[in-house]
Amino acid sequence: MKEMKIAKSELVSFLNSLIGEYKVFAPVKQDGFIAFQEIHSGSDALLDYVNSKKPPKEIFFPQSEVLFNYRLGGEGLGIEEPTFEDKPMVIFGIRPCDARSLAILDNIFNSQEYKDVYYTNRRGRTLVIAIGCNQPSSTCFCTSLGGSPFSSDGSDLILIDIDQEYVVQPVTNKGKKLVRKHSQFGEAGRRSLSLMRKVTQRAGALIKSKVETGETKKKLDGMFDDPFWDWLHEKCLGCAVCTYLCPTCHCFDIADEALDQRGRRVRIWDTCSFPLFTLEASGVNPRPTNKERMRQRVMHKFKYFVDNHNVAACVGCGRCIKECPVNLDIRAVLNSILNR
Amino acid sequence: MLDTSVMIRDAAKKLLDQKRVDLIIGFETGTLPLRSTPCFVRTSEEAEKLIWNASCENNLARYLRGREEKVGIVAKGCDTRSIISLIKEKQVAREQVFIIGVPCHGMIDRRKIEAKLDGKEILEADEATERVILKGRDFTETINKAEFLHNSCNTCSYRNPVIYDVLIGDKVEEKRGIDEYGEVKEFEAQPADRRWQSFTNEVSKCIRCYACRNACPLCYCQECFVDSSQPQWIGKTTNLSDASIFHIVCAFHTAGRCVDCGACDRACPMGIDIRKLTRKIEKDVKELFHYQAGVNLEDVPPLAAFSLDDPQQFIR
Amino acid sequence: MKNPYIPIAMRAEKIVIETDDKNIKTFSLSFLDKAEESSFNYLPGQFAQLSVLGEGEAPFGIASSPTQPGGLEFTVNKIGVLTTALHNLEEGAIIGIRGPLGNCFPIELFKGKDIVIVGGGFAFTTLRSLLKYILYHENRSQFNNVTVIYGARRPGLLLYKDEFKQWEASPDLDLYLTVDQADEGWCGKVGVVPNVLKEVAPSPENAYTVVCGPPIMIKFTLPVLRQLRFPPERTVLSLEMKMKCGIGKCGRCNIGNKYVCQAGPVFTLAQLNELSGEY
Repeated sequence: MKEMKIAKSELVSFLNSLIGEYKVFAPVKQDGFIAFQEIHSGSDALLDYVNSKKPPKEIFFPQSEVLFNYRLGGEGLGIEEPTFEDKPMVIFGIRPCDARSLAILDNIFNSQEYKDVYYTNRRGRTLVIAIGCNQPSSTCFCTSLGGSPFSSDGSDLILIDIDQEYVVQPVTNKGKKLVRKHSQFGEAGRRSLSLMRKVTQRAGALIKSKVETGETKKKLDGMFDDPFWDWLHEKCLGCAVCTYLCPTCHCFDIADEALDQRGRRVRIWDTCSFPLFTLEASGVNPRPTNKERMRQRVMHKFKYFVDNHNVAACVGCGRCIKECPVNLDIRAVLNSILNR
Repeated sequence: MLDTSVMIRDAAKKLLDQKRVDLIIGFETGTLPLRSTPCFVRTSEEAEKLIWNASCENNLARYLRGREEKVGIVAKGCDTRSIISLIKEKQVAREQVFIIGVPCHGMIDRRKIEAKLDGKEILEADEATERVILKGRDFTETINKAEFLHNSCNTCSYRNPVIYDVLIGDKVEEKRGIDEYGEVKEFEAQPADRRWQSFTNEVSKCIRCYACRNACPLCYCQECFVDSSQPQWIGKTTNLSDASIFHIVCAFHTAGRCVDCGACDRACPMGIDIRKLTRKIEKDVKELFHYQAGVNLEDVPPLAAFSLDDPQQFIR
Repeated sequence: MKNPYIPIAMRAEKIVIETDDKNIKTFSLSFLDKAEESSFNYLPGQFAQLSVLGEGEAPFGIASSPTQPGGLEFTVNKIGVLTTALHNLEEGAIIGIRGPLGNCFPIELFKGKDIVIVGGGFAFTTLRSLLKYILYHENRSQFNNVTVIYGARRPGLLLYKDEFKQWEASPDLDLYLTVDQADEGWCGKVGVVPNVLKEVAPSPENAYTVVCGPPIMIKFTLPVLRQLRFPPERTVLSLEMKMKCGIGKCGRCNIGNKYVCQAGPVFTLAQLNELSGEY
């Protein structure tokens, strides 16, 4: 399908035509920062923003999720399996790095070998409409990790801002179908396409922050006992800011919540940064100090995940860099690894 | 500030060369504008990294505990008060710490600046004595530092280190006539349901990352109550009830110990006003027990002691 | 597609106290739904997640052998929230189970070989499953000599005392029971497991060794095995790590690029040496 276009002035009407048939998530301003929320009117969507504070992974993999409810006292365990909504969803205005993170999370929750019912239910009925980044932030380094400000990985449609309008690249069949259905889209003319090419060609140059990550995994292969880890962790507070705000972090805990005979089992975000993560009931902890935990975090993201899925569990979105209370910068960590 | 940085470096180098300390905890330049980052310096050469400016907002006392070495620490007024609290609670020995005290004019609150710039990204920041020049992709803006300090700095009466082994530069004049608890009194005057609404609005943003707890120098329990499983006190989800209890209990645990350094507030990624409760508790402690944490080494913390003539019956 | 997070119901038919301090109990469980029983196909070495709804869930090695029809057995040490909840149950109580999970002992590789089983304390659970499987009359001839060395801190802490009495008398295996500290009435060996292993000195030729025990026992047993020249490829261990999902998703049991609940818990020493320095 050829590239299409949509005038910026038509965007609100397009979103309005989606709302009703779809549950539409779009970036909105909330509590002083950007969040992906369900919108009920097209004009609520914010288009002039860099990125959301919390990653959109929470729409597919929420911070807490009920695995099942139960009611004791009858025959057996009294488990009530969860029911799932079936209304289709649209996530509009996601950035290419975050769209790519969904493709990365699919390796865990939505692969050939395993489909997580909770995640796939939402993923399967969601259309991902990305908007490319004309003005990446100084903390963005997606190009160092196989992404780009206009990457279409993980999205069904990507919109590229060329001032008065967006050029629209349909990526998947789902995306193509959507574009065909809505009258606000027209075929992009030569001028639009040439403007788009100018914008996307600048893509590499737009990302000022670069880290050479090609050799990272190879370096890490031999670094488990490197004294580097002894000082890397020193200023780390061991909190969960970087993991909870990371679009690709996916570790979780499972806990029961009960009130007398009724209760539920929930899945909640967890982090390898906490000592409790590996603490065994006997009191033994294979990762007793911050050093081992920080090493695990870095090795998992840039070596173990690569060993298993051929891609680093990082999309270069820069959230951890912006929000770390002590400015522990993952780019500096990666550079240090390369220089070992 | 360059002078201050140089003086700190000199003091640090001397201490390391004379082997009076094994380690110095200070600040070095961060990787983003308006940020500095804690650094751990063990040699004279490394001490060259040390800096001081209005972005040195972390409370480094948080890194003092559990060490066997002699540690030098760069500390502003509030940080030194935390150190006093740690000494009183026997978490750190006075002889083990060499305090490099730095008089402070207040630390910049990045969020206030971001709000003023309405989301425009700062690419460069040049800090001068009274002003900061901010440069972005297509703007330059000069701001008065004093208008963009952290709230805890605006009500601070301890800009000078309360204890120190060496003082960097000259003392600054302490502010007079500060309405220390103005905001608290305003809050107290509101009806209960409004106060509850306001509190739950803040707490509903919580993502249970515990950055606040981990940034606090005085949160050091071997097992934090949120991590206890036998018994389990609260759940781990972001459920409002669980998050509320976490913040309430956390605030109560600071009673008579918190010095309002603001580290918790600054660490929170979601911008929760964590000091809302802690300030109220601090005010109550001051009024009930005539005590303020960390202002000298002699006063006994009220919740860590009793005497036979305590004013309240139940505690005797 | 079956949702692997949903436990199925089992009834605790029998609960037996194993040790004199009452901290270890063996639970015999039967499936409420008989259809589930026939689809729960497991081999020695695997584990399952047991739930007490409202308290939580934890992984336990399956102590019964698949040659024992009609249910499963688990031996539980009371140490935390879930294990305490299990210990507080009475016979007839309903427990949830998810499994079988993890990999099993490499039984096919064991065929035609001598097997040396070395166990300590309450880590003998999956070793019991393996031993019963090997000793099962239909299977026994497929394996050569079987040597078992099992020890506990004192006689009261030995597991499966009745079964060991039977095995002591059996010609199908060479059994060496030992305790660190004897009491009156104990006529077996006295000494820590690694020392007894040194004494027995089984031959590594055409043999596999399977070791399960507390970290301190493993720490001192591995050098003895090295001295006896058991190669890492034929030294089999079962790892323990805190687990939650049991299906390699939650990240908790991640060691190197593997998940103990999926690639393990059974590993050879050769595999562990490659994994990472973590363990």
